[in-house]
Amino acid sequence: MATTVIMPKLGLTMTEGTIEKWLKQEGDRVEKGEPLVEIITEKINFQYESPASGILRKILHHEGETVPVTTPIAIIAEEGETMAEIEMARPEVPVEVSLPVAVQTQSKEPSERILASPIARKMAQEKGIDLSSIKGSGPTGRIIKMDVLKVAEKGVAPPLRKSSEKLIPLKGIRRIIAKRMTESFQNVPHFYLSLEIDMTSCLALHDQLREEVEKRTNLRLTLTDILVKVAASALKDQPIINSRIEGDQIHLIEEINIGVAIALEDGLIVPVVHDADQKSLTEIASTLRGLTQKAKEGKLSLQEVGGGTFTLSNMGMLGIDKFNPIINPPECSILGVGRTVEKPVFHGGEIKVRPMAWFNLSSDHRIVDGATAAQFLNRIKKTVENPPLLLL
Amino acid sequence: MPEITFVESLRMTLKEEMERDPSLMLIGEDIGRYGSIFGVTKGLLEEFGPHRIRSTPISESAIIGSALGAAMTGTRTIAEIMYVDFTTCAMDQIVNQVAKMRYMSGGKAKIPLVIRTQGGGGRGNAAQHSQSLEALFLHIPGLKIVMPSTPYDARGLLKTAIRDDNPVMFIEHKLLYATKGSVPDGEYLIPFGQSDIKRKGKDVTIAAISYMVMKALKAAQRLAGEGIEAEVIDLRSLVPLDLDSILQSVRKTNRVVIVHEGCRRNGIGAEISSLIQEEAFDFLDAPVERVGSLNVPIPYAEPLEKAVIPDEEDIVTAVKKVLYRT
Amino acid sequence: MSIPLDENLCLKLYERMLTIRMFEEKAIELFEHNLIRGNVHPCIGQEAVSAGVCATLRRDDYMLNTHRGHGNCIAKGADLKRMMAELLGKETGYCRGKGGSMHIADFEGGNLGANGIVGGGIPIAVGAGISVQNRGTDQVVVCFFGDGATNQGTFHESLNLAALWKLPVVFICENNQYGLSTPVREAVSIFRISDRAIAYGIPGVSLDGNDVIEVYTKTVEAVERARAGEGPALLDCVTYRFFGHFTGDPGRGINYRSKEEMNQWLDRCPVKQFKEQLFREKIVTEETGKAIEAKVRASIEEAVRFAKESPFPSPEETTQDLFLLK
Repeated sequence: MATTVIMPKLGLTMTEGTIEKWLKQEGDRVEKGEPLVEIITEKINFQYESPASGILRKILHHEGETVPVTTPIAIIAEEGETMAEIEMARPEVPVEVSLPVAVQTQSKEPSERILASPIARKMAQEKGIDLSSIKGSGPTGRIIKMDVLKVAEKGVAPPLRKSSEKLIPLKGIRRIIAKRMTESFQNVPHFYLSLEIDMTSCLALHDQLREEVEKRTNLRLTLTDILVKVAASALKDQPIINSRIEGDQIHLIEEINIGVAIALEDGLIVPVVHDADQKSLTEIASTLRGLTQKAKEGKLSLQEVGGGTFTLSNMGMLGIDKFNPIINPPECSILGVGRTVEKPVFHGGEIKVRPMAWFNLSSDHRIVDGATAAQFLNRIKKTVENPPLLLL
Repeated sequence: MPEITFVESLRMTLKEEMERDPSLMLIGEDIGRYGSIFGVTKGLLEEFGPHRIRSTPISESAIIGSALGAAMTGTRTIAEIMYVDFTTCAMDQIVNQVAKMRYMSGGKAKIPLVIRTQGGGGRGNAAQHSQSLEALFLHIPGLKIVMPSTPYDARGLLKTAIRDDNPVMFIEHKLLYATKGSVPDGEYLIPFGQSDIKRKGKDVTIAAISYMVMKALKAAQRLAGEGIEAEVIDLRSLVPLDLDSILQSVRKTNRVVIVHEGCRRNGIGAEISSLIQEEAFDFLDAPVERVGSLNVPIPYAEPLEKAVIPDEEDIVTAVKKVLYRT
Repeated sequence: MSIPLDENLCLKLYERMLTIRMFEEKAIELFEHNLIRGNVHPCIGQEAVSAGVCATLRRDDYMLNTHRGHGNCIAKGADLKRMMAELLGKETGYCRGKGGSMHIADFEGGNLGANGIVGGGIPIAVGAGISVQNRGTDQVVVCFFGDGATNQGTFHESLNLAALWKLPVVFICENNQYGLSTPVREAVSIFRISDRAIAYGIPGVSLDGNDVIEVYTKTVEAVERARAGEGPALLDCVTYRFFGHFTGDPGRGINYRSKEEMNQWLDRCPVKQFKEQLFREKIVTEETGKAIEAKVRASIEEAVRFAKESPFPSPEETTQDLFLLK
């Protein structure tokens, strides 16, 4: 019966061996116990004896080869025996149990950690007491059971607070703004570009068209309406700004929907002028007046505040010169416009008094670089200073 | 109910069990004529003869090994190691043989063996005769461990230990031998894995073992004078451990102090506090506090020994710490 | 030279020795094929000691064994299938796969287990002797250990205790003259290991461990003496192992032993010697010899097949067999 010679396991830690030298050649007669092959392992140089008597019919691995333990390396059989596959028990390879990789959860570190004993936390939660309203008397300011009990008993803030202080809970729109602005500010890499733009031509345009618009629509035309049209035209030219990040891709959006920031009493709202590039100045004015009214009445629909691709924030009427607006996520950029101020500037070689305003562009550095954003801002400057370009 | 000493309770129990099981054998040093180091086996040689009360040479390995061999071959055996410090001389037999024989044989070996020993300091016996080594055995699977603190508990637990067909480490404390307690006449067994609330309270849980239970009770009395009601749990059994009772108490008091005489570092308190924080995390008002001996050998001089081994004061301090009353 | 033994006994001895030889060779082969984990400590060359000693024992006599104990297990009557299954870690093994090569135990056959600790089983043997003495039966305990173990504390404690109490324990030293790589000359402080018996006041004899007849006749004397209640004895059986210390021993133990020494002992191979003797005495013929070999080979192949086909223990088994649950 034929015998398969395997690379033997010669020690507990041996996993492979190298064939150094065959001491017998194919066709040679070999007796059981006779040295058959020299094997080198990490530890030793070993003469392995033949496990059977017969003819060395086939050498399967040759000198210099390194094979894992239990690999067949030769076949010994008698003259005339077939060399059909000798079924050998497959060695039980211990299954490598893959240990689950410990998932590192990035715990979002809130800026201010509240220290509280587990029971204090549990009790506060059950009683609906906000932990941040309790001052802990334990070591390192730990809130302990006693502190929570005191608060629960008295039903008011602990006596450590001055009675004149007022606490406003973050609710409703304030809460949403807080969340979204935090998200934007923390997660989006902002960079800021500013340009002082000569508003002369733009103001002139406003003057020229104001009456006509009122006659046609019974609505006021504002500077903001013109700026919306300017922004839309610039976005058409530089579609990369009209985009958003989705996972690890930049999604270029076809529609140009410009959100206009409106300040209400309880917070900021940004209704959106959809397809601003396809609207005339009159249409923009009409849309915006309508949205503003609705905003004041709290009647804006989800559609009217959603889908924005760019935001315009005009702080001019609030008397602000310059500011770095926070991007309205998930948009790429936001344009903040300051107030128009008469200033002495160089114009055509002379010092003239011109109406100037600061235009401030905040952009997402993941999507655009300084050069691209600069181009965009310059484009706006060009258009604002030469409004007829809008006709092209 | 009669009051008897810890020693008398043990002796009475051994006698009863030897009468009950004619094969039961005791083996250890000086347990014959001398009656064993603290008198526990006094009179037993005269009553049961030298085959059943086998007094040996000083050969701890042989004592434990032969106790194992006898138990494995049908002779229920109680081996006595004079001081727990000497169990180290028989560590291979305890750790590699006694604890593992049943498991290694695929459940074939039956080992009705009790290893009785005593430990603890406070008498100036110095470093090699004063240790508390239960934490070492707690780490070895295959050994049950019980440590009674009263004559009542000693009797009930010893009966259970003797009748258990598994290896049991029965660890006594030298300062408990002379203590008295009421022990009823009739037969009773205390199951393993059942702790005993020796004092009920609501402000803090004190889990203690062996002689420390006495100190914990004294500390509780003092604390009561300051308006703190401590619940003292006598663990009694380390393997198996009655974790449920501890957790139940912690859920009530929100604070726990574990007291043991073994070194604080890696003493039994380390394992128990870990279990508590795993199972009752949300109920803790403070981290679990452990009271144990300082991490030094037990010194000889009295003031030093006192400073090393925990006392009432240390327990009171620990309780106040978890109550934030320092 | 005629054999002072019964013909049937001779055949039984021969078959036993051949079985041990072939079993060990097969175990080595399985190790080389990565089917046996850990290590195997073959007793090739020491078959005469195993077969000769165990042939003197009854099934109800006890035996303690070493890590090099496959031969002794087989000689005491172990089922090859269950032994092989244990080596492969299968559920059908003697220890349900939980012990492995070094801890094979067959309690029904009096085999109290092999021990992985050198000298670990000697005190246990003493304990078994105590059980016998207390019960008053005429069972005997045989304790196997190597030359290295005679330097362990447990050897001395145990011989002393056994001698002191006149226990029915026969101590057999399988003196293969090496403790791993350390020759006896560099480990044992006296010339003849059997002289150590003098220190304990018991009979001691050194004999040719490769002559199965001498082993048998000398052991019978000691065993009958013990059975008659005359106490323990020490038998120093001088033999040699043809393989390395274990399957991880590089060069099969040639690194620390000379080729000349090996060849001298190979010439005196116990299996070969006895076979030649039996042929000379016409107890075995060419034909019957081949038949015995074929029979043994078949039983080994069957054992391997059984072991390979048996399942591994299931994961639930890990926490079972620790304690006996009533």
